[in-house]
Amino acid sequence: MITVVAVLGLALTASVSAAELCATDALDRDVCLPEPARRVVSLSPGATELLFSAGAGDSVVAVSAWSDYPPQAAELPQVGDSNRLDLEAIVSLKPDLVVAWTDGNSRAQLDRLAKLGVPVFWLAPREFEDIALAVETLGRLTGHTPVAERTAAEFRDGISTLQATYRDSAPVWVFYQVWDQPLMTINGDELISKAIALCGGINVFAGLPRLVPRISVETVLAADPEVIVTAGRGDSDRDWLASWQSYPSVTAVARDNLFLVSPSLLQRPTFRMLEGARELCGILEQARARL
Amino acid sequence: MPVSDIFRPLVVLALAALAAMLVSVSVGSADLGVADTLSVLVGGGSELHRTLILDLRLPRTLSAFATGGLLALAGALMQVLLRNPLADPYVLGLSGGAAVGALLAMLAGAAGFLISGSAFAGAMLATLLVFGLAHGSGSWTPSRLLLTGVVVAAGWGAMITLILAMSPASRLPGMLYWLMGDLSHAGQPWPGLAVLVLVCLLVFPLGRSLNVLARGSLQAAALGVSVRSLEWLIYLVASLLTATAVTMAGAVGFVGLVVPHMLRLALGNDQRMILPACALAGGTLLVLADTLARVVIAPEQLPVGVITALIGVPTFLYLLYRSR
Repeated sequence: MITVVAVLGLALTASVSAAELCATDALDRDVCLPEPARRVVSLSPGATELLFSAGAGDSVVAVSAWSDYPPQAAELPQVGDSNRLDLEAIVSLKPDLVVAWTDGNSRAQLDRLAKLGVPVFWLAPREFEDIALAVETLGRLTGHTPVAERTAAEFRDGISTLQATYRDSAPVWVFYQVWDQPLMTINGDELISKAIALCGGINVFAGLPRLVPRISVETVLAADPEVIVTAGRGDSDRDWLASWQSYPSVTAVARDNLFLVSPSLLQRPTFRMLEGARELCGILEQARARL
Repeated sequence: MPVSDIFRPLVVLALAALAAMLVSVSVGSADLGVADTLSVLVGGGSELHRTLILDLRLPRTLSAFATGGLLALAGALMQVLLRNPLADPYVLGLSGGAAVGALLAMLAGAAGFLISGSAFAGAMLATLLVFGLAHGSGSWTPSRLLLTGVVVAAGWGAMITLILAMSPASRLPGMLYWLMGDLSHAGQPWPGLAVLVLVCLLVFPLGRSLNVLARGSLQAAALGVSVRSLEWLIYLVASLLTATAVTMAGAVGFVGLVVPHMLRLALGNDQRMILPACALAGGTLLVLADTLARVVIAPEQLPVGVITALIGVPTFLYLLYRSR
C-alpha cells in the first residue's frame, strides 16, 4: 500500500512538471503519454531489468519469458517468448506502455499493437551510455525520475572509474567465446567487446563484420589470443575452456589464461554489466600478471 | 562389361579424391603455403602448423570424405531399392529421426558424444519404425515402403518444428547448423571410413543381382534373385550408412540424391561400377564443399549443406540438359 502511495506521489510530481510526457525511442519514433505509465508490459528480459532499475518495478504488470532478474520479475505473469508474443494477452492487460527490444521483438507484430493505440517504446542499447539513458527515459515515462537519475548516475560513475583505472594498463588480446557448437564470438560493436576494451583488453575479432560471427577453431589458433574468456553454458561449466587445453600453442592456454565469467552479468545490456565489467577487469588483471 | 572398364573410371575418381583432400588440408583461414602443408604431411613443420593440419584440418577432411561417400552410396542403394529416381538417403525419414534425437539432446543441454549418440539412436528408431510399419499385415512392396517412409518423415518434420519453436534462442544456432549439415564438430573420421569401406566390400559382389533388381522385382525373381531378402539387406545397409553419416555431420542434403544420378549420366547404370564410384565421388564433392564452406567468408564459417546444394544444383542441371 505504501509503495502504491509512493508511486502515485511520484507520478503526480512528474505530471506536474510536464503536461505531456514525450520521449524518442531507438527507432526514432516519438512516444507521448498523457500521464506517467502505471501498467507497463516488458517484452524482453533486458527491458524488464532496466524498468526495475528505473524504479518502475511496481508498475510492471507482465513480462516476456526468461525475465528472471530481479527475482520479483520472475513472479510476474508472462506474455510469451520475445519473438512469439501473445498479442491478445498483452492487449487484455490494458497496458499504458509496452517496452520492446529491437534485437528480439518483431517489428511487424508490435506495429499491430501500436495501431491498436498501445504506446510501444523501443530500446536498442549499443553503448554503456545508451543503457544509462534508457533507464532515465523509462524513469521519466513511468514517473520515477529521481530513482532513475540516481541509479543511472551510479552506473555512469562506475563505468568511468573502470575507464580511469585501466586506461593505461598494458593491452591484452582477448578471445570471448559465446558458444561452442557452432563456435561463435563477438565483434567490436557488441557491448561485451566494449567491456573488454574498458578493461584495457583488445577483442581479437573486433574487426569482423557481423555482430556475432561464427568462426573456426583454426581461426582462433591463428589469432593466438592471450586470454580466453567465456560464460560457458552457465552454472560454472568449464567444459568449453577444458577443450582449449588440446592447443598448447595458443598463448592463453600456455599461460593458463582461460577464464569463466558469470553469464548473467555480461550477456544483457543492463546495469548488471557494471558488475560484469568489474569481474572482467579483475580477470584481465590476473591475465596480465601471467603474461 | 570387362573388369578393366570398371576400374578405369574408379582410378580417375580416386585420384580426384586425393587431389581434393590435398587442396582441403592446404587451405583455411590460417594462411599456410603449399610448402608448409607438404612439410607437415611428411613429418616436419612448426608445432602450430602441425596442430592446424594434423589435428584440425585432416580429421575434418577425412570426415567430409566419409560423410559424402556414405550418403552417396546410401542414395544409390535407395534408388535401386525403391526404383524411384527421387529417392535419397533421407526419403524414408531416417534423417528426421536422427534430427529429433540430436535436437532433443541439444535442448536438454547435452554436448559432444551425447548429441551424436542420440542422433544415431534416433536414426535407428526411425529405421525400425518404418521397417515394422511397412511390413504391416499385407504384402511388402517398395511403393508401400516408400509411402510409409514419407509419412513417417513428415511426422519427424513436425516434431523438429515443434522442438525448434520451444527452444530458447541461445540453443537455436546449434540446432539450425545441425539441420543444415555441418562438419565443424565431426570428431573422429575412422568409424565412418570403416563403415564406408566395409559396405563397399559387401555390396561389390552383389552388383549383378542389384543390376537385375534395378529393372524390376519380377524380372529379378525370374532370373533367380532372392528378391525379398536382397531388398531387406539393401534397406538395412542403406540405413546403417545414412545413420553413420548423419551422426558425423548432421543432415547434409543433396549429396545422396544427386551424386548417383550424375554418375549414371556419366558412366551408365552398372551397379558394380556405380556403387564404388558413388563412394569416391560423394566423398570428393563433400570435401570440396566443406573446403569452400570454410573459406568463402573466412574467418567466418558456413554450414557445408549450403555449399553442396550451390555446387550440386547447377552441375546436375547441366548434365541433365546435355544428356539425351
